[in-house]
Amino acid sequence: MDNLILALGWAGLYGPMAMGAIGSMIGCSLAGQAAAGALLETETGHGRYIGISAMPSSQSIYGIVVMFALNRELTLGNAPGLAAIGLLCGLALMFSAIYQGRSCASAINVSKIRPEIFGMSLAPAAIVEGFAVFAFIFALVISAGVPA
Amino acid sequence: MSYYTLVTALPDLPTLAKCKQMPISRIALDRRLTMLTDEDQQQLKLAESLYYFGSKQPEMLSDQKLVYQWQYQLTQIESEEIRQCIQSRLEWQSLLAALRQRQQGDKGPEQFYGLGRWTMRIRQHWHEPAFGLETALPLLAELQPLMQKGAAGEVERQVNNWLWQNLLRIERSHHFSIETVICFVLRWGLAEKQIQNDADQALEAFESMAEVLIDAPVIREHIESAFEELS
Repeated sequence: MDNLILALGWAGLYGPMAMGAIGSMIGCSLAGQAAAGALLETETGHGRYIGISAMPSSQSIYGIVVMFALNRELTLGNAPGLAAIGLLCGLALMFSAIYQGRSCASAINVSKIRPEIFGMSLAPAAIVEGFAVFAFIFALVISAGVPA
Repeated sequence: MSYYTLVTALPDLPTLAKCKQMPISRIALDRRLTMLTDEDQQQLKLAESLYYFGSKQPEMLSDQKLVYQWQYQLTQIESEEIRQCIQSRLEWQSLLAALRQRQQGDKGPEQFYGLGRWTMRIRQHWHEPAFGLETALPLLAELQPLMQKGAAGEVERQVNNWLWQNLLRIERSHHFSIETVICFVLRWGLAEKQIQNDADQALEAFESMAEVLIDAPVIREHIESAFEELS
């Protein structure tokens, strides 16, 4: 049982990083595929499509920061707390990256048709990013309460 | 299969009324559709052959056999929404065929074969102007007098507008899926058909105008004198 609790603690430590990276991979891939298609259909503005497709990569960075903030010597006393914060934050980052990728793909699709709405079409992706920032910030705040 | 690349690689089609030139040729479209898997390509081909059955029907089948063929082919469409969309297109085809058949008067209701939920109703209410479907299908009530006047072009335009809106609704409710791709290709077909019709109409108008001008006595005199000078 002790080993299981410690294993969960380690999963909590590495979870935000791993799940954030998984989410970023999927999100960037979805937006990147949309950007690749838009390149075929447009004459200009290629750089911005590729730029948008990199938006979901921020969740990996948040994951790395949370991982460092949670990093401490694992004990039976702090492992459950680390597991709970790390895994939940990781899930939040993973899903936000995937859905941000889908929002970016839609933004690329509509701004390809009407380039003047490019900025506005990015609003949904920015809102999703906002929720990832919430998960990230409050994971940092709450990690201060986990015993070292 | 991911449809993200393909969907964003498809151009925007303006509204049917504004479609004066195809934004992408069939060759270029087919090249992009090679991104689909073999299975998706088969589904698309089947959907197109059902939606545009008239232009691609290789052999002349009786109405009854044609309906059986449609029914069988519809069961092979995997997407429920696409199946319903094609079915409603074929239902409209059946309704227009019934109007035409009744107008010609050579066949009675018992010889009418159509596809979909309205077939029995059409037979039962054969002698009513819009087969008693005015409430369920207000567009049919508008089309019936046009059909009677022989305005087939206007009837086709209105039905195509309805089909276009239906396809657009499905396309917008599905993002990056096979439904989006199929609806786009079917809309492309409607636009192409309309442009083709416009071109045919323009040619017809030109020919009839040319005939009227040539028949005008003053012009005829000029032409005859020109021929005499030449000879």
